[in-house]
Amino acid sequence: MEKYDVAIIGGGSAGLAALKQLSALGKQVILFEAGNKIGSKNISGGILYSKKPKKGKTYNVEDIFENFLNDAPFERKITKYILHATSKDKVFSIDLTAAHEYEANFGCSVLMNKLNQWFSQQAGEAAQKQGGGIVSGVHVNSIRWEGERTIIQTDELEEIEVKAIIAADGVNSEVAYMTGARQKFSPSELYQGVKVVVKLPEEIINQRFSIEQDDGAAHLFAGDVTLDHIGGGFLYTNRDTLSLGAVYHFDSLLETPVEPYELVNTLLKNPMISEFVKDEVPVRSEIDKDLPKEEQMRIRFAVTKMIKNWSELRDVYYSKKEKERLVREGKYGSAEEIESQLSSLRDQMSTKYNIKFDTDYVEAEYSAKLVPDGKRCRMEKPYFKNILFVGDAAGRGIFVGPRIEGLNVGIDDGARAANAVARALDKGNFANNYLGEYYSQSVEESPYTHDLKAIDKDYLKIFLDAAKDVPKDIISSKYGLVVKMMSSNTLRSFAVGFANILGYEKLLPIIETVDTYVKVPTELAERLGKSISTSYTPTIPSIGQRVAKLNFNDDSVSHIKVLKPTSEFMKNMVTLCPTKCYIMEKEGVMIQHEGCVECGTCSEQTDWKHPRGEKGINYQYG
Amino acid sequence: MDPINTAVIVKLEPDFSEGNVSYNPDGTLNRAETKNILGPHSAIATAAAFYAKVKYGAKISIGTMGPPMAESMLQQAQLISDADDLYLYSDRIFAGADTLATAEVLKSGVQKMGKMDIVFSGHRASDGETGQTGPQTAWKLGMTFLGHVIEYEINLENRTVRAKRLVRMQGIYDIVEEIEAPLPVFIAIDPSYKSKFNTVSQRLDYERYQKEAFERAKNFKQYLKVFNAVQIEADPKLIGISGSPTIVYKVERIPKGKATRQAEVIDGANQEDIRKVVARLRQSLSTMVIK
Repeated sequence: MEKYDVAIIGGGSAGLAALKQLSALGKQVILFEAGNKIGSKNISGGILYSKKPKKGKTYNVEDIFENFLNDAPFERKITKYILHATSKDKVFSIDLTAAHEYEANFGCSVLMNKLNQWFSQQAGEAAQKQGGGIVSGVHVNSIRWEGERTIIQTDELEEIEVKAIIAADGVNSEVAYMTGARQKFSPSELYQGVKVVVKLPEEIINQRFSIEQDDGAAHLFAGDVTLDHIGGGFLYTNRDTLSLGAVYHFDSLLETPVEPYELVNTLLKNPMISEFVKDEVPVRSEIDKDLPKEEQMRIRFAVTKMIKNWSELRDVYYSKKEKERLVREGKYGSAEEIESQLSSLRDQMSTKYNIKFDTDYVEAEYSAKLVPDGKRCRMEKPYFKNILFVGDAAGRGIFVGPRIEGLNVGIDDGARAANAVARALDKGNFANNYLGEYYSQSVEESPYTHDLKAIDKDYLKIFLDAAKDVPKDIISSKYGLVVKMMSSNTLRSFAVGFANILGYEKLLPIIETVDTYVKVPTELAERLGKSISTSYTPTIPSIGQRVAKLNFNDDSVSHIKVLKPTSEFMKNMVTLCPTKCYIMEKEGVMIQHEGCVECGTCSEQTDWKHPRGEKGINYQYG
Repeated sequence: MDPINTAVIVKLEPDFSEGNVSYNPDGTLNRAETKNILGPHSAIATAAAFYAKVKYGAKISIGTMGPPMAESMLQQAQLISDADDLYLYSDRIFAGADTLATAEVLKSGVQKMGKMDIVFSGHRASDGETGQTGPQTAWKLGMTFLGHVIEYEINLENRTVRAKRLVRMQGIYDIVEEIEAPLPVFIAIDPSYKSKFNTVSQRLDYERYQKEAFERAKNFKQYLKVFNAVQIEADPKLIGISGSPTIVYKVERIPKGKATRQAEVIDGANQEDIRKVVARLRQSLSTMVIK
């Protein structure tokens, strides 16, 4: 049996950070990733933060990956952070940029596929130097202990023996279930997020969101777009795409089930968002059915090719950097040449093939994910024997009002786990009190853990200052006394202090309510909102079309087994599965696993495993 | 133990993948317009050699007979296999060769590489489709020939190879025959071959060699040797046109068969149409009897 010092299970950003850190400390580490390549199963909202807390220290992405700021393919640094309250066509906006910048070095928008591949290059190279590395397409199916030995079994490879394990296998952590380290998260501890990536050329984004070349904007949405659920929508600008998503408390969705894609569609139909995503889209004309078959075929191919060329050239035209690069490389003589080629291509399209140009939006990818609500479900002791849990696997996402952080918490955990393992390797001591407890303590000291346990009164003040234009009576009717206390500095300090003693989790049922996310924002928008109109209706693809666009490596065997086909929960899955994998068949539900995006929404009452190595979903954006 | 030396003989072929083929008005292939690539079967043979590199640390030399532009195809092969040496046998005199004359050049070329333990070839070419060049080269080299190989392992100590062959016997398809042979051997790889790496260390080596291959292929000319007929000491009587007994008399287009299938086109845009499809499938399935 082959032996290695450490195994990391899962190649998301937390696992990769742990790999980089441990390798930098000179340890031999193997990382197993089930996807056919790193990043293919990862999705995020998402914004990645780097923090500078007043108290304590966080391990930031640029601490672990030194070249991050110069070299990493992140999208844009978010410089605008705005919350919109919506009601029909009315929108009332609150600028929360100050809250976004609170204790932050930066926060950048990211697409996980690209970024994790970059992380994996950096971490993989470091790992190789120590005799380790990344092994993708491998699914770990069990871990067992024989005396002092820890043995990992996978679906694909021969067994290996290791001294310690870092479990970074995400919110649906199989390592956690197979070892019994924690229970599956319950609906009240989870959010379900659904996202679409929308294509939009770079400079159109700059203009539309009034941002500079490398800057970005984040827009959050609450009010009637939530369809009465607790949670909200988000829209982040990437370099030449937008990430648009809906994130809602899972229990709130179970209470009044709505198809997850309908929640995204509702956002798309909001006039403000319709205007944000709109673009110029070529529309094919019908091919004359009387033409010979060969000619029809030729036209179809020619049109496809032309549209592809046009949209590629248009992306170049709207990207200053790309334009400069291609002129420098001699592909085009000048920027003017690109412009004239683009317009002549456009003329050809309309004259030769009768292609029309319409206003619509272009969707590139649909995705879904469960998100752990760290306030409620973080593991108090994130270890089991010599296994340390990090990131989503340990249930550590920070969601406090408009504050949405997960990636940076995972990276911080990864670094802490790496340090703890390195220390244990040096001593050859992997006992609970030396490894697990040490890590647990380190995580407990992390400023992120502090934020999951207590309200930060400075952050609260910034938030309240931003919302100072909100008429008091709207809020007072819902929160009465609380508002009075919050409006005075002394009283607020006292109240927050008292609340933190009482326990943050006891306050959640008061804060996270339909009032906060739906009623108050809707009333705000109705009374104070500006009316926004849109000139078109977006053509929204059906869920079938969305799933058909995704890239799967189908497994003949289902990775999900339905245990209680007739339970209420499972019947709700017919509505709540983001890719409509469940259908009603007589009394109970039946699964068609082929379109499964492995979000884990149905995991509570199913025997849920990740697909075997290389199988299942392959996201292109993430 | 001596390291294993392997050679792969590959062919430059037109890219027959969708959208890349160009035809003349008379229906023949427009060779000038169609891009040339490493043939798909050659690519599989190259991947099979890479298996020996990952698992046994074998040295890989890749050789081809072709025009000077075939060097970019050798680059592709190096990218797949992290080849240590690339050989291009190029000479005007080679033109017009049939499979036998080609095999003669490849034999001389492989001998020029040094003593080989295993020589790999693809199953056939996608333009010629004869499947003769591999076996003929093996015969000329005087090597044991193993065709249709889908899996192989090398015993470094005994210097033998154990191979699984996918064969047809007495009219029954897909029989797997397991064979052991002393090195050297000539292996023609079956199209269904796929390398399996089933330990962590092999996977790590795989990654490492792939990375090396990427670096090497960037500067592939450093690894490339170009030889003409004289340099590989090929017998002028046995190569090119003069060495080719085959005469292509005429090429005819295969007449189009009459379609007997009846198809009904249903646009799957709405639920109702999909229901129709399902109903039809149900109907068809109900008439099928599973024995």
